[in-house]
Amino acid sequence: MTIAAHGLSAERSGRTLLHPTNVNLKPGERVGLVGASGSGKSTLGHVLVDTLRARGTSVAHVPQSPDEALDPLRSMAFHWREAEQALGLSPDDARRADLFNALQIADSDLRKRPWSWSRGMQQRFVIAMALIGTPDLLVMDEPTSALDPVVAAGTMGLLDAYLRDRQTALLLITHDLGLAARWVSRLMVMEASRIVEDAPTPRLLSTPETKAAKALCAHRNWLELPC
Amino acid sequence: MLKVENISVRRGGATTLKDVSFSLAAERTLAVVGESGAGKSTLIGAILGLVRCASGRVSWNDEPVGKCRPALVMQEPRAAFNPRLSLCRSLMEPIMAQKLVMDASRLDRLCQSLEVHLDLLDRRPDQVSIGQAQRVGILRALIAAPPLVLFDEPLSALDAVTQKHTARLIADMQAQEGFAALIVTHDLGYAAAFADEIAVLRAGQIEEFAAAQAFVEEPQTDYGRTLRDAAFALGALERVA
Repeated sequence: MTIAAHGLSAERSGRTLLHPTNVNLKPGERVGLVGASGSGKSTLGHVLVDTLRARGTSVAHVPQSPDEALDPLRSMAFHWREAEQALGLSPDDARRADLFNALQIADSDLRKRPWSWSRGMQQRFVIAMALIGTPDLLVMDEPTSALDPVVAAGTMGLLDAYLRDRQTALLLITHDLGLAARWVSRLMVMEASRIVEDAPTPRLLSTPETKAAKALCAHRNWLELPC
Repeated sequence: MLKVENISVRRGGATTLKDVSFSLAAERTLAVVGESGAGKSTLIGAILGLVRCASGRVSWNDEPVGKCRPALVMQEPRAAFNPRLSLCRSLMEPIMAQKLVMDASRLDRLCQSLEVHLDLLDRRPDQVSIGQAQRVGILRALIAAPPLVLFDEPLSALDAVTQKHTARLIADMQAQEGFAALIVTHDLGYAAAFADEIAVLRAGQIEEFAAAQAFVEEPQTDYGRTLRDAAFALGALERVA
């Protein structure tokens, strides 16, 4: 299903948090939303998710902080049941075991509440919840920020395999152009609450046009090694 | 020269550092990389004397390391300051603690090099950006001219562009001031780009110790390769033809 949301905007106390913005994604397309801290990336993510859900589009959202997704008073098992029920799925231990094994949280105690789990494990649990069903769009906001590099790389690999088999589109929100460039085919650059550049990944990397995109490209990798 | 000789740390029956040894000369940079729980922060605590070693010895020029007054730059820039004090007051604490006289021209020079405007120092930590707070954190660490500076994940709270800019500033400051830098980081890209040597810490032990460039080109251990390949997957390092 093609995702098309036009005129997305947000305002708080008279202050514009998001200028009118259009977002389009083809089925299965992987798009990166990049920009500096405070440029409005997460706000756009939230507004897009809310708008699409209100329209009945199926969207899975991994917010930047697991605190936004997990209720501190409920057990992890409760969250998992709730996610399955929301998707109209019956409990499936094999599916859960597969996801938990892939994300290396299989040994964790589901009877516990979120705060008994480490931050990285909470983040992986939220990613697992997002991968239960087959949504039209997966919005992931800094999905690897609390993860160690080895686990983060494994998580991105799992996500890659998941998306390959489905028509689910991905919006990957990150401040790290190096990470996004590795996994998406199109990049949207945000600055001062608006999208200032939108181009296929190779073109944006080779010929960035705006100041924001040029700054991101100039600070893309720490080091380039010869093949 | 910093010498860490066979230190072990035990906590609650578990060994968090086991027989760790290395040395770090003035003006050189050592990056300690590894995953959460590998013992990276414990190593910093052990060097600073905040964590008691069960065995081994840490010295700077053959004297107890505390005598050289090493400085620390912390991970969470804003939380590293007293929230009730202006940044200027916090900045003066190393000077007062060591009963030194503040050299105004040195402060000016450091502020200029670290891109810290003087009016920023009148604010409290919650009134500045995270990037600004970290630059003031580095300024506080350097103000008393320590010969050894420890950095505990100094960039992880910053965004990608600010990270690289701040890393450059740290390297420039080191060239000016000549301190030895021990940088704990989970970011192999940062370590490879800015350190002379890399120590890979795993489960409290040094798994691999090598020149930075040699390590990223050809790690000698399986775990080193896993870390290097993760950095490729996350775009921190890239292969180019």
